[in-house]
Amino acid sequence: MPIKNRFAELQGQIAEWRRDLHAHPELRFEEHRTGALVADRLRAFGCDEVITGVGQTGVVGVIRGRTDTKGRVIAFRADMDALPILEATGLPHASTLSGKMHACGHDGHTAMLLGAAQYLAETRNFDGTVVLLFQPAEEGGGGAKAMLADGVMDRFGVNEVYGLHNWPGLPAGQFALREGPLMAATDFFEIEVTGRGGHGAMPHQTVDATLAGSAVVMALQQVVARNVDPLQPAVLSVCSLRTDTDAHNVIAGAARIKGTVRYLDPAVQDLIRARIKEVAEATAKAHGAEAKLDYMPCVPATINTPDMAAHALAAAQAVSPVVRTDIPPVMGGEDFADMLGERPGAFVFLGNGDSAELHNPRYEFNDDAIPAGCSWFATLAETRMPLSA
Amino acid sequence: MPIKNRFAELHDHIAGWRRDFHAHPELMYDVHRTAEVVANRLRDFGCDEVVPGIGRTGVVAVIKGRSDTQGRVIGLRADMDALPIHEETGAAHASTHPGVMHACGHDGHTAMLLGAAQYLAETRNFDGTAIVIFQPAEEGGAGGKAMVDDGMMDRWGIQEVYGLHNAPGLPAGTFAIRPGPMMAATDEFEITLEGRGGHAARPHQTVDTAVMSFHLGVALQQIVARNADPVEQLVVSVTSIQSSSTAFNVIPQRVTLRGTIRSMQEGHRAMARRRIREVADGIAATFGGSAQVEFKEGYPVLVNHDVETGHAMEVARAVAGDCAITPMVMGGEDFAFMLQARPGAYIRLGNGDSAGLHHPKYDFNDEIIPMGCSWLAGMVETRMPAG
Repeated sequence: MPIKNRFAELQGQIAEWRRDLHAHPELRFEEHRTGALVADRLRAFGCDEVITGVGQTGVVGVIRGRTDTKGRVIAFRADMDALPILEATGLPHASTLSGKMHACGHDGHTAMLLGAAQYLAETRNFDGTVVLLFQPAEEGGGGAKAMLADGVMDRFGVNEVYGLHNWPGLPAGQFALREGPLMAATDFFEIEVTGRGGHGAMPHQTVDATLAGSAVVMALQQVVARNVDPLQPAVLSVCSLRTDTDAHNVIAGAARIKGTVRYLDPAVQDLIRARIKEVAEATAKAHGAEAKLDYMPCVPATINTPDMAAHALAAAQAVSPVVRTDIPPVMGGEDFADMLGERPGAFVFLGNGDSAELHNPRYEFNDDAIPAGCSWFATLAETRMPLSA
Repeated sequence: MPIKNRFAELHDHIAGWRRDFHAHPELMYDVHRTAEVVANRLRDFGCDEVVPGIGRTGVVAVIKGRSDTQGRVIGLRADMDALPIHEETGAAHASTHPGVMHACGHDGHTAMLLGAAQYLAETRNFDGTAIVIFQPAEEGGAGGKAMVDDGMMDRWGIQEVYGLHNAPGLPAGTFAIRPGPMMAATDEFEITLEGRGGHAARPHQTVDTAVMSFHLGVALQQIVARNADPVEQLVVSVTSIQSSSTAFNVIPQRVTLRGTIRSMQEGHRAMARRRIREVADGIAATFGGSAQVEFKEGYPVLVNHDVETGHAMEVARAVAGDCAITPMVMGGEDFAFMLQARPGAYIRLGNGDSAGLHHPKYDFNDEIIPMGCSWLAGMVETRMPAG
């Protein structure tokens, strides 16, 4: 069973859907048009249930197999939201909404899961139930969490959940995955450094928040370089340092530091969080200033369940001649991790060929990958819930 | 196979040799007594050839199997040197040389390889040739490289080479290994900052190397925190800062920083060196001084060969019932040089709940002798089965 023939027939059509989504990108929790299109199509395919408004703008579709002797339920997830990026592809189907763009290929993910849904609703060659999760707000909005908070896993009795992400640099239609941690946990932090502002000519009368803030940034470098076990992947990036003044001659009284922390092992979070607090407070104090840390855990690490990673691998091998399992973990985050926190499952990468990188204004989803992605979903449904002979 | 019965019989014997080595530790290439004891025993066992003086004070011996139909040659390696540490075990067999100690268990490695050699010379149940390699100066002296540079691999036609190291914290007598990179490359760096010394009351007339060095120590943190790929492993540690003056009122003319780089792949190794140089030059220039950076190349990454790691695991499972996959270790090991010269594998043998390696209270655990000996002998018998 390589690519299913039906997807070769449907490819042009699925690519059309994808391009339409691409031309009409919507940001997190604003996927009203996208959600409505998805729901209309699912109804047209004859899905047994189509529910909108799950996790605000999410959509759930249910497809029952020919039989249901074991009560098995497999969920597939695609994300629908776009990014606040000004598109620079120059394509005929480029974004019609200036400053919004499908620069992460969620248009492709949504279109491929729709394609798989059409096939599964047509054929129903499985013993159990397929639940389709079209999720909003993957890009920093907590869309997966919102759907989970709406009880999506219990309501539909989901046993396992699978998802994929297109991957620039990997040949189109090839798959890559690994058992265990695949993508990093993502936290954000803000440090407010408070000193005492004053005249640029009279620093001795001030507590210079710029200097204290700069010292905090420097001192934070020790956390990864000195405190974290070198065998544990970890990133601490300060991404913004802003003072409360923009003048040439005013010493800032406050500075705000923003950044992100990435890691694979949950124990690393406790260490880094504690060290940021200690380093920021003590370094600020050394400068006579004060630091206050606001630490915001966002998304846990995407950790594939070993058994489900094996099923995902088998389905990928059935579809594609080349599946890589030797990839290193990725320090980017993915909120499918929240779904894996509630149910066993797996997440895989699908090659997008030699395209621009994700989140780049010239990025474009590769429609050549559509048959492989659709076939992977459909194969998983049919192999995890086979009809009895 | 589990433990070979012969090693249960020889256990006390081998432990006796081990304790004798422990009581008479020798440093680096000065392992004269140890090498002599080793060579004499090997001759007593009836080895076919015993050659001292390889890699200065290393010893190589040849044990021919019952047959040799395929021309197979397998090398087994142990290290013999001790450390400049003052022993605090209080053991009856404690070091008789104050300030010198077998704190890394090389006494145990040497004794176990001797035990395996005795058994192999007695039984010769293999088809080919076993080469037993006793090397000096593992602790920073690159004794493994010295033996390779002496042409040992070619001279005896060694095709594969295996070694083991005891591992405190790993349950006694259990094995653990890792295919591919297992132990780190260890390079050293020395940065000399040159400024203009002067009176501490007139800093404006100086180029202050002390302040320069503080900034450099902090700036070097960016190499791991910002430059290294976070999914790879790299350590850059500054371990010493010394100013050319220790006075209270002199701004030093010169400050020297020393440290070590630990890396698991050549790309990172090169990157760390390049960045140390760039950061040192840049920070020195910021203060109007200059930096001179020197590197001393240490041991390369110890890379276990995939196929041979499989063989090592197979024998470990036969001896102990199981073989774990160990995490990487950021410490270095000069068996890496032998693995660059020939395919092979390096395995960890649990020393149980002992003090850590290089600790003054560390002692090799004699309980694990039969497992280590059985594994070493097992490698020969499994890789060169008698017809």
